[in-house]
Amino acid sequence: MTSQYMAELCALLVEDNFGELFARIFSTLQRYDRLSFPRLKFYSRLSDRQLRHGLAAMIQHHLVYHYTSLDDGATYYEPNLQAAYYLVRSGKILEFIHARLGKYAATLMATIMFLGHAQVSYLETLPELQPEPPKTNGMGDENEEGEAGEQLNGHRDDEYTFEQPALLHPTLKALASHGYLIRVRDAQFQSYADNALDAERAIKSRPDVKQMKGKKLDETVLEGTLTLLKERLDGDLTRGLMFNGLPRGAKLRHANGSADAPSKRARVDYDDENGDEEENEWSDDDMGGDTTPMELGLVVRVNYEKLDVALRNRRFLELAELNSSSVTAQVYECLLRRIEYQTKQCRDSAEIPREGEEGEQYSVAIALNAVTEEVDPQLDLAGSIGPMEVSQPINRRGKRSLEDGINGTDHEASDKPSRSYEIDQHLSLLSQPPYNLTSKRMLAGLITWTVEFRHLARKLRHLELERVIEARYGDVALRVIRVLHAKGKLDEKRLQEISLLPFKDLRQVLASMQAGGFVDLQEVPRDAQRQPSRTIYLWFYDPDRIRSSMLEDTYKAMSRCLQRQRFERNRLKEFLEKTERSDVKGNEERYLSQAELTLLEQWKAKEALLLGEVARLDDMIAVMRDY
Amino acid sequence: MSRFGAKKGRKLPGAEFSWETGDAGGEPDTAPTPLFPKYTVPRARPLTPQEQLQVDFYRSLRERIHDGPYYAILDGATSAAKKDSAARAQFDPFHGMQSYSGKYQKKKRALPRILGRQYVMKFFPRELWQTIQPTFRPDAAMDGYVPQVAAIVGKRGFEDDEEEEDEGPGGGKRRRADDGEEDGGDDGDEGGDVLDPDEEQDEEQLEDDDFEDDDDDMGGDYNAEQYFDGGDDEYGDDGFGDGGGGGDEETY
Repeated sequence: MTSQYMAELCALLVEDNFGELFARIFSTLQRYDRLSFPRLKFYSRLSDRQLRHGLAAMIQHHLVYHYTSLDDGATYYEPNLQAAYYLVRSGKILEFIHARLGKYAATLMATIMFLGHAQVSYLETLPELQPEPPKTNGMGDENEEGEAGEQLNGHRDDEYTFEQPALLHPTLKALASHGYLIRVRDAQFQSYADNALDAERAIKSRPDVKQMKGKKLDETVLEGTLTLLKERLDGDLTRGLMFNGLPRGAKLRHANGSADAPSKRARVDYDDENGDEEENEWSDDDMGGDTTPMELGLVVRVNYEKLDVALRNRRFLELAELNSSSVTAQVYECLLRRIEYQTKQCRDSAEIPREGEEGEQYSVAIALNAVTEEVDPQLDLAGSIGPMEVSQPINRRGKRSLEDGINGTDHEASDKPSRSYEIDQHLSLLSQPPYNLTSKRMLAGLITWTVEFRHLARKLRHLELERVIEARYGDVALRVIRVLHAKGKLDEKRLQEISLLPFKDLRQVLASMQAGGFVDLQEVPRDAQRQPSRTIYLWFYDPDRIRSSMLEDTYKAMSRCLQRQRFERNRLKEFLEKTERSDVKGNEERYLSQAELTLLEQWKAKEALLLGEVARLDDMIAVMRDY
Repeated sequence: MSRFGAKKGRKLPGAEFSWETGDAGGEPDTAPTPLFPKYTVPRARPLTPQEQLQVDFYRSLRERIHDGPYYAILDGATSAAKKDSAARAQFDPFHGMQSYSGKYQKKKRALPRILGRQYVMKFFPRELWQTIQPTFRPDAAMDGYVPQVAAIVGKRGFEDDEEEEDEGPGGGKRRRADDGEEDGGDDGDEGGDVLDPDEEQDEEQLEDDDFEDDDDDMGGDYNAEQYFDGGDDEYGDDGFGDGGGGGDEETY
């Protein structure tokens, strides 16, 4: 997994975020992989004190795994590449949370990221998480009282808009029930291999396992290890917090999601929700206040796996938006959201399986009426589908009423059952080739819809590869690649026949792509002498191979971007230090000259472009590695 | 006819797959390539508003970490560094000199500040507990490696106690009060910053002491000022006894 550029990138990211000391420790650990404290001290040439403080802080941020062996009592440290890599995705995640759950949730998430992991009781004390209204500004002792007061305040707030700061606990609960936060467990601080070995040892020392032998023993150990691992690593918080299969604050997100909707309607939604769930045990959970706060001793951290799922869904949605109407996309979004609540990770296996060996993996099936509930009741579903034979007269009437400019409330009241039918139609539209974004299932007579994730993830990967190939070698190359991908290995002559290209173009393109490593040639000798004249040459295109080489290239490009940013920063070092002075910062207009202001502006744009480029490359990485 | 056929037969094997575009039968194109070939530099698209937002979130989080307690750089070379030390050699004479406006300069930390927030001890390895919570005293009878930690305790306990006095009595409340207002927080930070170099200096001081001891030891071996005295003594001792012989020894 560790490649040169991946390692380089991770070290750069750590340095960009946490400074040189962390980077030194991290890269030393990367180079030597697993070190005890004295060894680490020797290799990194840091002082004892620096190293101790650095390591403690890095463990707090999950950048370093540690493991104390039972045999010799020594503690070993290991770099956590995954955590280091996810530093690059922080902006994306925060933006996502911001769009979904509002500003306060994003602030809370940023704080948790800033702290690494945090106890709920500690989060309570932080001033930046206290609601902004001038009254009771986090006065420590009267925290509880402050909360009670803000509860009322919160009520008033969400009548108006959600940008107002909400309370800490409901937001935490919302984040936790969506699965974006997880509980921190001891085992998460050890690397996976250590955990697996530990679990195996524990299983093997059980008396009933000790008596087993041979194959049975192996099977039991393997199975037991997996369950024990799951149990130890599991930090899922959603279980207690979901109700009716919906996370807390889900409706809030719904209203927020359709930004164009007037906030008044959003409020109506809430009232509905509260009314519905009066009998529910969580009925006290209206948005403003929650009488059952999160456990104070609970330690939470960001759950990147779940966020990957959410970001992947977003990606699918973009794909759907490309070639379907916005209404269809909205319906799809509702389906995906329902699926997201029940999907913990992008895939079961750690590595992306090889092309062709990948099985089908359907998501949980969502009943049609659940999607219907989720879809905004004001959404005009009929407008974007052609009139249907079955319900033509009704539809016509509905259309006419819309043309009259009246909001379609009566229409909705008149044909309530057809609404789920229309949603079904939208989803069927999405299930069409080429993307097959959804698929229909009948479960016990109920219509349900699922998404075939592996197929779609593969599709995304192929689209990404094709995009790169087209950008580099042009559309002729793209056609050749598609032919090769569809037909497998091909002789040049057959390839020419199928792709309908002149030999000259074909050869040029094949040669340049071979030089770039995108296609390759296989020799099949027809006799034992392997004479070139009696050998068949077959062109082929192996997406797996190209994927891994593209991953490397992308890591490299990302690390070059970060290096460039560092270089540019060094070039302007004196100036930037000036702008960061405590008196200049915040009132730049007062202290800086016009030229300096322009320079600062330019620098910010330049940095944003470089970081934005890194984020785009990260999208590619996500498609090729994580989804 | 036959000649034509022969020529065809002599065609290099694999030539049909050659990527020469011309019909020159495998003759490589030896014409010089242009010195500055026309090259279209790919340009990045401008950021979409969404991407801009993502970048802004990333930057603000990063800035927050930079201002936070953990951001640490490696060498803060100042003119206060000891003469002839490695840090002094890397000192930047143009910008490193302390000036009045330097008080506004962003403080740089050489050491992450661990104290000042709560930690969950069980998540950290045992050998770092001392660092995270200086009041923690490891039981002497725990493991084989504990004495090693304990030895460091003797050296560091004092400094850490000082720091703990700053933070300790107030505990969480004090911290909250500090953070309530920006200035208070800043003061706390500055306190930390002042402390850190001091501690470092302390450490250096200790090392220096070692070095001076070394110097003294070496002085016992060789001392330039007493070089001749020692010789004289020897000479004097021996000189009266067997005169020239002693002198000869000296000249050898």
